[in-house]
Amino acid sequence: MMRKDDKLFGDIDWPLFITFLIMVCMGLATIYSVAFTQEHPSLFDIEKQYGKQIIWISVSLFLGLIIFLIDSDIFRKYAFPIYLFTLFLLILVLFMPPINGARAWIGVANLGIQPAEFAKISSALLLARYISELNIKQLTTSNVMFAILILLGPMILILLQPDAGTFIVFTSFLFVMYREGLTFDPIILKFINTYPRFKFKQTWVGTHFIPILFVIIFISIVTLLLSNLSLKLWFSEKSINGSMGVILFLAIISVIAILFIQQFGNKREKGRMMLIILLGFSLLGGLSFSVGKAFNSLAPHQRDRIELFLGLKEDPNGKDYNRNRAMSAVGSGGWAGKGYKNASVSSVESNHVPESETDFIFCPFAEEWGFLGVILLITLYVFMLIRIVFIAERQRSAFNRIYAYSVAMILFYHFAINIGMNIGFAPVIGIPLPFFSYGGSSIMSFSVMMFILLKLDSQRKDVLR
Amino acid sequence: MNFEGRRYVIIVFMLLVGLIYSFRLFYMQVVDDTWKLRAQEIAEKRKEIIPARGVVFDRNGQKIVYNRPYFNLMMVEDKIKDLDTVAFSKLIGWTVEDVRNRFKEIREGEGTFYNKYSQKRTSNYQKVRAYPFIKELTLEEILKIAPHLDNFPGFYEEVTSMRSYPFKGGANILGYLAEVNGEEIEKDGFYRPGSNIGRAGLEKYYEKEFRGFKGVKYVVTSALNNAIESYAGGKYDTTAVQAAPLTLGLDMLIQTYGEELMKNKRGCIVAIEPSSGEILAMVSSPSFDPNLLVGNRNIKLNYPNLLKDPAKPLFPRPLAAEYPPGSIFKLVQSLIGLQEGVITMNSGFPCDKSIVGCHGHPNAGSIQEAVQFSCNPYYYAVVRRIIQQNKKSSLFEDAEIGLNRWNEYMQSFGLGKRLDADVFGERPGLIPNSAYYDKWYGHHRWAFSTIRSISIGQGEVKLTPIQMANIAAIIANKGWFYTPHFVKSIGDNGPLKKFKTKHNTMVEAKYFDPVIEGMRRVVNENGGTARMARLEDIIICGKTGTVQNPHGEDHSVFIAFAPKEKPKIAIAVFVENAGFGGTWAGPIASLVIEKYLKRRVTDMAKEKRILEAVLQGGE
Repeated sequence: MMRKDDKLFGDIDWPLFITFLIMVCMGLATIYSVAFTQEHPSLFDIEKQYGKQIIWISVSLFLGLIIFLIDSDIFRKYAFPIYLFTLFLLILVLFMPPINGARAWIGVANLGIQPAEFAKISSALLLARYISELNIKQLTTSNVMFAILILLGPMILILLQPDAGTFIVFTSFLFVMYREGLTFDPIILKFINTYPRFKFKQTWVGTHFIPILFVIIFISIVTLLLSNLSLKLWFSEKSINGSMGVILFLAIISVIAILFIQQFGNKREKGRMMLIILLGFSLLGGLSFSVGKAFNSLAPHQRDRIELFLGLKEDPNGKDYNRNRAMSAVGSGGWAGKGYKNASVSSVESNHVPESETDFIFCPFAEEWGFLGVILLITLYVFMLIRIVFIAERQRSAFNRIYAYSVAMILFYHFAINIGMNIGFAPVIGIPLPFFSYGGSSIMSFSVMMFILLKLDSQRKDVLR
Repeated sequence: MNFEGRRYVIIVFMLLVGLIYSFRLFYMQVVDDTWKLRAQEIAEKRKEIIPARGVVFDRNGQKIVYNRPYFNLMMVEDKIKDLDTVAFSKLIGWTVEDVRNRFKEIREGEGTFYNKYSQKRTSNYQKVRAYPFIKELTLEEILKIAPHLDNFPGFYEEVTSMRSYPFKGGANILGYLAEVNGEEIEKDGFYRPGSNIGRAGLEKYYEKEFRGFKGVKYVVTSALNNAIESYAGGKYDTTAVQAAPLTLGLDMLIQTYGEELMKNKRGCIVAIEPSSGEILAMVSSPSFDPNLLVGNRNIKLNYPNLLKDPAKPLFPRPLAAEYPPGSIFKLVQSLIGLQEGVITMNSGFPCDKSIVGCHGHPNAGSIQEAVQFSCNPYYYAVVRRIIQQNKKSSLFEDAEIGLNRWNEYMQSFGLGKRLDADVFGERPGLIPNSAYYDKWYGHHRWAFSTIRSISIGQGEVKLTPIQMANIAAIIANKGWFYTPHFVKSIGDNGPLKKFKTKHNTMVEAKYFDPVIEGMRRVVNENGGTARMARLEDIIICGKTGTVQNPHGEDHSVFIAFAPKEKPKIAIAVFVENAGFGGTWAGPIASLVIEKYLKRRVTDMAKEKRILEAVLQGGE
C-alpha cells in the first residue's frame, strides 16, 4: 500500500503541523523564561530545562521523520504488539524505585521516560484497530467487553503507579467510543433480556452513556460534597454519612415514583418503568455508596485535594498551596501580562508555584502574557482540536478516524484539565499541558501521537475503505 | 444508525470549554483584583527598614543616650543540615538541653491557629522563615560565634541596634525600651512583632519623636522568603530617616552628682531652671543603672529583681511620691495671706505653743521672721485668716468659701494637680477643697479648727517633689513658672508647645520680696533653720521642712533657689526618714547648687559627711 508519488510531506496537513510547531516554540519560550537564570543565559545550556527541552524536541522531530519514512499501515498492523509492549513497560515500571511517591519512570536518574504517556498512543492504536474491524450494527457483549478491556489494562497499571491524572485521561476514549457508536448496550441488553418478559433491541441507557456519565459525575460530586457531613435522622439515634443520605434521598424518590406509576401508569409501561426505576436506584445508590467508601479510603493528601477542589476547604497556605499560588499567578497577569521573563510569582527561581515549568506551565505563560496571550493560546488549542476532528471526519478508513478522534480527545482532556487546574475549574492532578510542559516523555509522546496522525492523514487517499 | 452527527457534540464540547475558560480567564485576569492582591502578598514583600532611634544630648551637648550595634543569631530550620547539637551548644555556651528547649520555645512561641476544617490546631511556625535563635548578642559575644557559623548551615547573624547609657544615671527619667505587645501593634501601624517601643520615661513620652521615619523597600521574594530583586528597580522605595536628636535641659554633671549624694538614702532631688522650667536634675533614690534594662534579655533578667526590691528603685519618687510638704508649705501660705490682704509683711503673731508645738525662737514680728523661724503658731493664725474671712455669718459656710479660695491659689501654684511635665507617672498630690472635707465630715460640718493642720503642710496636704521644686522656681521668678520639662529642644525646634506657655500664679510679684528675704535669712542668718546649707559666695534662699512621719523617723525636706538675684537654679531635696530638714536636705541642696553654678564643690567636709551617711531608717 505504498504511496504512488513519493513526496514525503506532500499531503501533510499544514495547518495542523504549523499549529503544532507554533505551540512547541511557545512552550520552549515559556520554559526558557520561567527557568532562566543569570548563570545559564544560553538557550542551549543543557544544564537547564530549556536546553534539555531542545534535545527532547529534536528527538521528537527525529521520531517524526522516522514515522514519515515508514508505511502508515504499520501502526494498524502492529497495534497489538505495540500495545503489549507498553503493557510490559507499565508492569516493569512498577518495579522501579519511586520518584516523588510514584513509580512512573523508567530510566536512570533524571533521564527517564514515563510509559504511561506512551500507553495513551498504543491504546489509541489498538482501540482504533479493534473498533474499525467491528460491525458496529451488530455488537456483541464480548465486543464491548474487549474494547473496555483494552482500556482497563493500562488504566489499572497506571493507577498502581499511582498516576491519577493519566488514569483520568484514559476516560477520554469513552468519547471516541461514543462517536463510533460503540455502546454498552449489548451488556445491558444481555442483563435485561435474561428476564423472561423483556426482549429489547437497544436501551436508552446503553446508547447514551455520555449523558449518563454526567449523571454519574453529578451523583459522585454530590456524594463528596456531603461526605463530611453527618446527617441526623428524626427516627434514629445514629447519624448517617453523606453517601447514605444520597441513597436515602434516591430511595424516597424511587418509592414516590413507584407509587406514582402504580397509580397512573398503563399496564404495558408499568413493568418497564418499574425496572428502570429499580435499576436506576440500585446503580446510582451503589455508585454513591462506593464513591463514599472510596473517598474515605483515599490517602489523606488525595482527600484533601478533592475537598479543596470542591470548595470544602479554604486554606491558602496549606494544602491548597499549589492551586492558590497558581491562580494568583494567572490572575496577576492582567490584560497584557507582566512581560516576557517577568513572571514574579511563577518563575522557577521564586518557586512560589511548584512545577511551574512542567504541570503548571500555564501559570508563567498567563502571568507573562496576560489575557491577550491566554486567548491566543486557547484559540490555538481549540483550533487544533477542531482541526483534528475535521481531519478525522475526512478519513476513509475507520482506523484512521478512530485514531484521530482519540488524539483529539486526549489533547482535549489534557487541555481542559491542565488549564482548568490553573483557574480553579479542575482539581490539581498532575498532567502536562501538551507541547508546552517541560519533560521528555510528555513532548515525545505528544509529538509521536501527532506525527502518526499526520502520517495517517497524509496517506488517507491510499486507503481503499 | 448514523453516528456522524455526534461529531458536533464533540466540537460543541471543545468550543464550550474554550469559551468558558476564556470568560473565566477574562474575569480572573482583567475584572477581578483578588488574585492580583494575593500575588502581591505572595511575591512582593514590603520590607520595612526601621531607622536607629534618635539620640539624646544633655544641656551641655554631651551624648547621654545613643545606639550600639547588637547582633541576633538567626535560624532557618529548613536550611539546617545535620546539626551537631553538641558542637553547636558548645559554640554558643549553652547546654545541649538548652539548645533543644530553645528550638521548642521558638516553635511554641509562634502560637497556633485553629483550622476549622481539619478541626486541629496548627502552628504558625514555618520552617522556611528566619527566627532569632539568640537575641541581642554584644559584639564581643558574636565575634566568638560568627567565625564558626559556616559549620552550622541555617544559622547566621543579623545586626540590630540597642540603647546605651554611658552615664549610668537618670534611669527613671530616660526610661527603657521593650518589645511591643499585640495591642500596641494593632493601635499603631508603625510597629511589627518584635519591634521595640518606649516603655517608660522619656523613651515612652517622646516615642514618636524618637522613632523617626521608616524606610520601605519593595522586593520580589521567593517562596523561601529570599529577596530575588528589588521591585520595579526600586522606584517606590524610600529611605529610613533617623529622628532628630533630643536635647534635654538635664545637666548630667549634677544629675550624676545628685545620685551619688543620695546613695544609701531614700528620697529625691529635683532641680529646675526657674527662667525656663527646664529640669536640671531629677534624682530618685535608690535608682539603678539604665543599662540593666537594655534589650529583652536584660529586661527578663533584671526587671523582676528591680520590681521585687523593697526599696522600689523603679518607683519614680520625684513624680509619683506624694509627701506632706511640711514647713516649706509656709512659703505659699505667706504669699496667699499677703495677696488676700489678711496680713501685711509686718504682721506679727505670738508663738503661742498652746495651739501647736514649736521650737524655741523669738516671736515673729513680720513675714520675714516667720519664714526665718518657721513659726507654727504664726501660720495657724495666717491660714485661719485666709480660711475664715467672715464673709458669711455661719462659721462653716465661711470656711467653705475660704478653703475653696485657698484651693484656687494653690492650683495656680501647680499644686493639687498634675504639672503635666513630659513624663508619665506623675501624681497630682493633694490640695483639699470643700468637697473633699464634705466627704469626710459632712456638708458644713467643718471649719478651720477642723482642718488647721494644713496650715503647716501636714494633715491632708500632699505634694510631689517636683511640685516642691516648682514652688522654689515660682518664688525665684516672683510669681510665674513654665511647666517643668526635660526636653529643651526636639531637633532644633525647641520644646513642646505646652512648655512655652507662661503660667502666672494669683500672687503679685511685690508680695514675693518679703518671703524671699525670709528664705535668705533661713540659710544666711544665724536664727535660720538651714545654716548648714550656707555657701560662702552664693546667696541661697531656702526653706527647711521636717515632715512628721507617723511610721518612723521624720522626713527631711528643703527647697531653695540660688543665687538670690537672677536665680539660676531652684531645687527641692527630700530625704526620707532623715529627721530635721536643715540637717540633711539643706546641705545636699547646697552641694548640688554649688556644683551646678561653679561646676565644683569647695566644702569637702560637707560633701564627705553626706556621701558617708546611710539614712535608710525605719519603715
